[in-house]
Amino acid sequence: MTIVETKTPILQIRHISKRFDTTQALDDVSLDLYPGEIHALMGENGAGKSTLIKIMTGVYHPDEGEILLDGKPIRVGNSVEAQAYGIAAIYQEPMVYPDLNVAENIFITHRSRRLFVNWRKMYSEAEDILAKLDVKLDVRMPARGLTLAAQQTIEIAKAISLNVRVLIMDEPTASLSAHEVEQLFNLARSLRDQGVSVLFISHRMEEVFEIADRVTIFRDGRWISTLPRSEFTRERAIHDMVGRKIEEFFAKSLGQRGELLMSVRGMNKENVFADINFDVYGGEVLGFAGLVGSRRTDVGIALFGVEPADSGEILLDGKVKKIRSPEQALRMGIAYMTEDRRQMGLTMPMSITSNISLPMLHQYLSRFGLVQRRGEEATAEHYRQRLSIRTPSIQQPVGMLSGGNQQKVMLSKWLNTRPQILILDEPTRGIDVGAKAEVHYIINELAAQGLGIILISSDMPEIMAMSDRILVMREGRQIGIFTREEATQEIILTAAMGQNGGVMEAA
Amino acid sequence: MMEQLKRYFRPEQLRELSLVFLIVLIFLFFGSQIQGYFSPRIFNRVTSDVAIIAVVALGETLVLLTRNYDLSVGSIVGLTAFTVGKQLTAYPDMLPMVALLLAISLGVSMGLLNGLLVSFGRVPSIIVTLGTMAIFRSTLVSYPGNKIVVTNDLPQWVLDLGRMQLFTIGEFNIRPVVAGGLVIFIIFQLVTIYLPYGRRLYAIGSNPDAAHIGGLPAQRIVLIAYIICGAMAGLAGFMFMVRYGDLTVTGAQGMEMQVIAAAVVGGVSTNGGVGTMIGALLGALMINLLQQSLLRWLVISDFWVGALLGMLILVAVTIDAVIINRLRDIWTQRGLEIKSGDEKKVIKEKESHVA
Repeated sequence: MTIVETKTPILQIRHISKRFDTTQALDDVSLDLYPGEIHALMGENGAGKSTLIKIMTGVYHPDEGEILLDGKPIRVGNSVEAQAYGIAAIYQEPMVYPDLNVAENIFITHRSRRLFVNWRKMYSEAEDILAKLDVKLDVRMPARGLTLAAQQTIEIAKAISLNVRVLIMDEPTASLSAHEVEQLFNLARSLRDQGVSVLFISHRMEEVFEIADRVTIFRDGRWISTLPRSEFTRERAIHDMVGRKIEEFFAKSLGQRGELLMSVRGMNKENVFADINFDVYGGEVLGFAGLVGSRRTDVGIALFGVEPADSGEILLDGKVKKIRSPEQALRMGIAYMTEDRRQMGLTMPMSITSNISLPMLHQYLSRFGLVQRRGEEATAEHYRQRLSIRTPSIQQPVGMLSGGNQQKVMLSKWLNTRPQILILDEPTRGIDVGAKAEVHYIINELAAQGLGIILISSDMPEIMAMSDRILVMREGRQIGIFTREEATQEIILTAAMGQNGGVMEAA
Repeated sequence: MMEQLKRYFRPEQLRELSLVFLIVLIFLFFGSQIQGYFSPRIFNRVTSDVAIIAVVALGETLVLLTRNYDLSVGSIVGLTAFTVGKQLTAYPDMLPMVALLLAISLGVSMGLLNGLLVSFGRVPSIIVTLGTMAIFRSTLVSYPGNKIVVTNDLPQWVLDLGRMQLFTIGEFNIRPVVAGGLVIFIIFQLVTIYLPYGRRLYAIGSNPDAAHIGGLPAQRIVLIAYIICGAMAGLAGFMFMVRYGDLTVTGAQGMEMQVIAAAVVGGVSTNGGVGTMIGALLGALMINLLQQSLLRWLVISDFWVGALLGMLILVAVTIDAVIINRLRDIWTQRGLEIKSGDEKKVIKEKESHVA
């Protein structure tokens, strides 16, 4: 794209860094956005894409570096200011007001041009914008119940009405159908042709090939490469995204595969996942790999009975079982540790002791039906030593612990249910390196004791190192199961991202 | 045809129509049960009471639209009515306009306190206003001197204002209090439909996260809603004083519940974003009409009036949850439909995998 190079950029990101506690989310990142280009930004989960968007839209403020608009440095204090600079973002989950009608949604943030709302004028202007986008929507109807694609269209219309110059699209296609994706791309192209700079974030390789003029790749919060599409190849992209060697501290002790614990056959859930088949053996770790939105967690919570599947069979010890609720799942020896420990995994103000005993409280009752603290405390003390939870006391509120120790409390809570099968959803997300290694050690120990473990993780090196077999999902489908010997990061990432499309042979 | 109908007619309007219908029904029913029900005397009483409740309910609706509550309105009404009454007793020469402004500014300052705590202090509104409800009421109870205002001590213009006939329709006359309520209603109706501020109230209650990310000055909008709500409670306090004259420190106690009930019966959602001013007005009319009528109906004892009103609220909310939500579903457009049959099939297939 020679045109691009001769123009001056609208927006320049200069040496931006941002740190959260122990993680360096962005490290000296620079990026130029030119008028009339669609610029794709790629990277693995945690590469820093979302942080950059939030800095551009004023949600976060950079620790270092600056943003230049038309060559002049600007400070984006909040989303109102971002809008004033012509920077707007649309997200995977659009932000519409369900009780307002379509036209109002488009114009709600406008600085009032007059004292009174001129409804007739607002409707006709909204219709004009939507007509320009070639979209049919009744602007008088409330936004409630619109499809995601229609909601995104409203957000785009809103951006246009605010004279957008830089439009950020954060994985906008993740929940759209093929036709809707095509419509969205047409919108993006027409915006580009009007001189807007579109920053397009996607995990899907084929989409990036289809729409991007240039591609930038981030890894671990750092800028790795920016290439015009003509020089961009799939191999190059995957290489730049993965890039690193598997860290040494993942020490996997290969245990003996035990007996078959669970078989899942043809499990479906409408609009969520389809035709999931796998076996779990005692003593092994089955990794679930896939990108955000690949529906790995949905399979996990289906097995635990939170959101049961619509059809398909789950066999435990060779017998078909129905799991309709977490209580049933627990009774059958299945435990699921959530990825969201703050919201769903732990009760932050309660003590370590109370959190651990919570699912098994009926075991700690005295004859009169009262909770016996001594039993609870013995259990908590046991797990404190076994998982080396670092805390001044087992009466400490869980909210006061570090992320790693919280994770261990959550692990204790589910281990205390004596599961045969333990589903771990992102067990090391947001904890530091030391704690991570400890959690890995614990997972190995548990497998060695004969538990069957399902490890859902977005951390590619982790899943590579920890798993005996790896099941890869993409968009609700099972792409394949790879053995430890077969799996390389390239193979797994290719399967997770698509591109060559075909379903691989299950191992 | 159906599409046109859906376009200009909303489930909310259906609800308001059925309220009108119900009010007429109540009116006719008690007309046949209570002697002299259609007399000007009862008309005056009901309309004056409704006007006071409605003014407070309209202010409360602004707050409810933003997904917040104001439980302190009853205390604000009581405090302003009593304070202004006391001042008028002490300074009978005070100009009527000064007394009115005093009432409104008292209301504004109390609303400001609520609003600051809720919007900038980020304390849940139910807690804030539960606290201020008690504080305002206690302030009133600890008012120095004797604890009552007597009609006879008030200046003559207050009494006249209460009895004055602005204009008459047949035998029925419209009093200043009622006219005031109607003016407020019309202003609020215009504000919520035609002022950007009014529309943003709906936006905030409808999706607070989007309001935050989407760049609406949410804190300021909520603060102003509380200030207006306080001002309306202050105005209602003035109307209350004019209407009753004899005041004690417990005046208007429990009015917050009547007011919230009126709004909810009128279709204002406590989850924010839904509700109209005409709905709140009709709700106030219905609640008050029923209350007044039940008190005069000798068939049931006074004790049951409260229970019946409570039931009414529950019925209204249940109807809302079941029928109105169902209607809303019928009324929604999905958007971006794909015409050709072939394409649709392909997409259906794709969608069974992607969610």
